[in-house]
Amino acid sequence: MQSSLKLRIIPVLTFNGFALVKTKKFANPRMVGNPVQTARLYNSRGVDELVFLDIYASEQDRKINLKLVSDVIKECFMPVSIGGGIKSLEDINNLLKIGADKVVIKTMALKEPLLIKEAVSFFGSQCISIALDVMNIDGEYHINTGSHLEKSNLTDFIKSMEDCDVGEYLLCSTDDDGMMNGFNIDLINYVSDLTNKPIIAIGGAGNPDHFATLFESTNIEAAASSSIYHFTQYTPQDVKILLNKRGFNVRL
Amino acid sequence: MGNLASVKKALNAISVDCIITDDPNEIRNSKVIVLPGVGSFKQGMKNLKKNGLDITLTDEVMNKKKPFLGICLGMQLIFSEGSEPEPCKGLGWIKGKVVKFKSNGMRIPHMGWNELIDVNESIFNSDCQGDYYFIHSYHAIPDDSLIISSKVNYTEKVVASVNQDNIFATQFHPEKSQKVGLALLKNYFAKFS
Repeated sequence: MQSSLKLRIIPVLTFNGFALVKTKKFANPRMVGNPVQTARLYNSRGVDELVFLDIYASEQDRKINLKLVSDVIKECFMPVSIGGGIKSLEDINNLLKIGADKVVIKTMALKEPLLIKEAVSFFGSQCISIALDVMNIDGEYHINTGSHLEKSNLTDFIKSMEDCDVGEYLLCSTDDDGMMNGFNIDLINYVSDLTNKPIIAIGGAGNPDHFATLFESTNIEAAASSSIYHFTQYTPQDVKILLNKRGFNVRL
Repeated sequence: MGNLASVKKALNAISVDCIITDDPNEIRNSKVIVLPGVGSFKQGMKNLKKNGLDITLTDEVMNKKKPFLGICLGMQLIFSEGSEPEPCKGLGWIKGKVVKFKSNGMRIPHMGWNELIDVNESIFNSDCQGDYYFIHSYHAIPDDSLIISSKVNYTEKVVASVNQDNIFATQFHPEKSQKVGLALLKNYFAKFS
């Protein structure tokens, strides 16, 4: 077993249909800027990847704004994952056509897992990412399905997605979203034991040490964050410099 | 076939004129052919055959020796045989096969930035050495190992690019690999301008 794969340090842009916003525990969105300008900045900083999510599209039954997403992607010479309001193979195709490298799906996967299987066989598993927004209810992990769906057990949901052979998971701890107190290591290890697919951990980063703790305590290889880059002086590069000092393999 | 838009954007960024087309005449009139592509091997071949593009491409690249750049699935499809999701024939320009990674406990797909090793320095000068973006679950094994122009370390040393006559093909995505990727594309197209 050998690898020289670099850890991926990824900024996440969460969008409300008009502007970038940042939530705490998936509530209280606060405006944090313009998506195209922010994407341009991250491209110029050479970040490893970018994740762009319209976090209200499904709930508000909106389509994602393809023109705006296209403008965001145009700024990026690194891989971009796009999510929000994806309901059909056509929606996926529209995003891939304008240059999305991966699409991020949650609601459709909960409602119609069979469509995920179809998407994988048509577009290839490498571009189908599944968002796992997880909350702990009475000691059990469940998918945070928003207001309009029944709760769904995390383990069962992952098993159904493994059957579809999806490409990657974006694992977000709802309880830690925007709190900047560190990643939810227990949750990440729990999910990591259930799958051999790449996992991007999201939620909780407040300083570069949190990333070192994440990679020391789990075997995942990617972390995506938002608040730390919006509300502190730290950049993705600062995080990578610290990780490099601690002996982790990153792209500087 | 997903990453057409990204490749076009990258080529525009280095001032290379390009069009996205499935018209055989446009392909015949081009100076260089680029075949990007993501998705499954079988679906990719099906797409090429649907329009008879497999015949046009083979004639241009193998008979007329037109410069050809294959990227990701566009590299895998030029091998004799694929296995995604089941065994199927490829374009067969390069003898060899495309097989699934043996995971050995590592995560599959191989996804992220990884360093090229065992590079052929006449293809990758110092501007284009470094980390490239990979995203794949299958890798190519040519019969003739001399055509391998770079490798990458994931589960074992696997092929990252091949060069055979007028063919250059990469498993990684130069169009998604920021500075080094654009430098590689620039060097490649500089030969034809």
